Amino acid sequence: MREEKIETRGALGGLYLIQRLLSVAIIIIAFFPVANPAKICGLVSNKMSLFTAAVSYSTLTGDLRRAFRMGWVDEYIFVIAFIAAIIAMLGIAVTAAGVCASMGNLRLQKLGLKFSMIGTIVEIIGYIACVVSYLLLKSNVTPDKLGEVSPQFPMGVIVYGILAIVLLLLSIGIFVKAPSVPLGMKYDMESKYKLFLMFLPFAVFAFLFCYLPLYGWRYAFFDYKSGGTLSADNFVGFKWFVYLFQNKATRRDLVNVMTNTLAISGLNVVTTWIPMIFAVFLCEMRNMKFRRFVQAFTTIPNFISWVLVYAIALAIFSTDGFINTFAKQVGLLGANDTGSNYLMGDSLTWVKMWAWGTWKGVGWSAIIYIAGISGIDQSLYEAATVDGAGRFQKMRHITLPGLIPTFFVLLLMAIAGILSNGLDQYLVFSNADNAKHINVLDLYVYTLGIGNGSIPLSTVVGMFKSIISIILLFAANGTSKLLRGESIV
Amino acid sequence: MAKTAQEKIDAKKEKAYYKKHKKMYRTTPGDVVFNILNYTFFGIFTLTCIFPFYYLLINTISDNELVKKGLINFYPKGLNIDNYIALRKVGDLGSSFIVTVSRTLIGTALMVLASAFVGYLVTKQEMWHRSLWYRFLVITMYFNAGLIPIYLNMALLGLTQNYLVYILPLVVQPYNIILVKTYIESIPAELEESAFIDGASYMVVFRKLIWPLSKPILATIAIFGAVAHWNSFQDSLLYMQGNSELFTLQHRLYIYLNMSSNIAALMSQGGTAAQQAMEQALNAKVIKYTISMVSVIPIFCVYPFMQRYFEKGIMLGAVKG
Repeated sequence: MREEKIETRGALGGLYLIQRLLSVAIIIIAFFPVANPAKICGLVSNKMSLFTAAVSYSTLTGDLRRAFRMGWVDEYIFVIAFIAAIIAMLGIAVTAAGVCASMGNLRLQKLGLKFSMIGTIVEIIGYIACVVSYLLLKSNVTPDKLGEVSPQFPMGVIVYGILAIVLLLLSIGIFVKAPSVPLGMKYDMESKYKLFLMFLPFAVFAFLFCYLPLYGWRYAFFDYKSGGTLSADNFVGFKWFVYLFQNKATRRDLVNVMTNTLAISGLNVVTTWIPMIFAVFLCEMRNMKFRRFVQAFTTIPNFISWVLVYAIALAIFSTDGFINTFAKQVGLLGANDTGSNYLMGDSLTWVKMWAWGTWKGVGWSAIIYIAGISGIDQSLYEAATVDGAGRFQKMRHITLPGLIPTFFVLLLMAIAGILSNGLDQYLVFSNADNAKHINVLDLYVYTLGIGNGSIPLSTVVGMFKSIISIILLFAANGTSKLLRGESIV
Repeated sequence: MAKTAQEKIDAKKEKAYYKKHKKMYRTTPGDVVFNILNYTFFGIFTLTCIFPFYYLLINTISDNELVKKGLINFYPKGLNIDNYIALRKVGDLGSSFIVTVSRTLIGTALMVLASAFVGYLVTKQEMWHRSLWYRFLVITMYFNAGLIPIYLNMALLGLTQNYLVYILPLVVQPYNIILVKTYIESIPAELEESAFIDGASYMVVFRKLIWPLSKPILATIAIFGAVAHWNSFQDSLLYMQGNSELFTLQHRLYIYLNMSSNIAALMSQGGTAAQQAMEQALNAKVIKYTISMVSVIPIFCVYPFMQRYFEKGIMLGAVKG
């Protein structure tokens, strides 16, 4: 049975394609903070999209609190602007539904066209309401504060309005020209599109939280201060990239940070074998009860947060922690000694961080090897025993070779992740004393961007990190393919 | 830890095997030395993993006077749970607790639902450009834009200072989707086909067939997801600056741990200045311990249930697209 649809070839088909692409374009630009139709005065943030304006009244009027309080403008005007944004977004939502319906059969497609028409009309009403709120604002604002509130005609209305009108005309035209729906035809859609539409909301999530942040890389090219705006005026090109390496202070920081990062990650990489050996020796214990007990409790630290690890560290190593109080009790420390806080000093910071990481992770990482060991053919061990192999010979010639492929993959992954130490551990353990040696790349980006507010500079550092990390990952993958003929990602 | 029937049988077989081959497996003096060393090492290491928690526990349930003198090292004295009751008076802790519990429940539920549904959808070969969309999801595991761009993005989306930032970004997680997809692919395709022949729609097949059949894997991702939610600290730290009502429990704990002055100041009432100062110094330590215990207890509670999902869980890091 042939699906009845609007032909995709021919003039009508071409127009229909344009209509659909235009609808998608309208939906997408509503999420970008350019030419926002709700920006009716200078105090409305530049960084706000139509969508944000429609979902968050407090964001829309964030910078206007003072103006309301001082009576420069009446708040109801912004309520109107807010409602206008909501109406426009509703129209866009209906248009979106129309695009979805356009994937169906002829009847559904015609329904979709109706949706597009209704949607665009609603949208246009919303834009008109935006203009109304602007006109009201212009007449309402206290004359001597005109400069500060600076009402401006929302240019977005023109852009969005033209798009909406074009879409409306197109939809009407196609609707009239399209063949009429045969009697008795039901709403239907091919399953491939049905599946896609069910998947789409989740793709949107992935887009919003994983792809859209890449758009934030543009901050690296602007002279941006927190709360400020991006415009042609503060576009600085590659200034921050050059600054990072030419400024003495940042260059020194960067060298220090990279030393720490590579040192701690390096320690982790060269000790990737520890969980493997841990697993091998664990499996040498014949007492199953004890083995299970060990396995159960050495895995626990993996499941507690770094904050809790720090809490434990305080309880054991701080001035009034276990070690000091116990030393006092047994007389190693005088009753009036303050004891020492082992968490403060800067001795062996790298090793300490590595040790905490290993303590937390070794039991967990060993599980994959334990699974590997139980997968090794027992007859190999029996044969080796018959041949007179000792415990260590069996380990060396049977167990380890069986685990090497897993080890190799994990080693490559460790190398690929050499720049990503994570933030939590280093943040919680950092203090005035060890700041110099604990400052790893992730912590540096955090303090630079969030603490000092150097958004562009920290974005640059983050960009380098992301790019180098992905190159390392591909290199690791390539190595794996070359040596084992198997990829790891 | 419950042993499964299979494990019991295995253990029995192993024992029988060693009995039969006693001669071959005769313990040499070297073996004895090795065993002593091996058991000692693992014993001590396990102790380092348990003792800190035990130490926190005994200090929170002992007489506070003794705790202050540092006399509680190995066993509790003067048992009481006053410290846990006193936590009521620590302001803000209640809201953090509610935030963390609710995000753990809601966040995990949504994540599991989404993973199950998307995992099912991407097994459908007939989906429009399936492999493209699948790759679109999987690629996100291997790159991220960086801390600051992600932060700015959340601000752009209006999610800073917003409870939703705890839930929404964690709904679609490619790792979990891959796990579910792999699992669903192992379910015999005939089951689904026969359902389609009976006229079931995708939704019905998902609800009546796929969801119940993939419960083991869903339990795995649920439990690991819940632990991640419970332990979340970074998102609270980054996105809730200044909005202390929405801090998570771990964030709150972090703040308390770093208070050099005393949390107890928040809850002290009356008494002379000297008395108060003493009480505060005393309480500060104990209250830190108590809050730590409160945030670790739920982990210990779910831990026994988690163990059987370990092997599946660790494959999280080793799965392929």
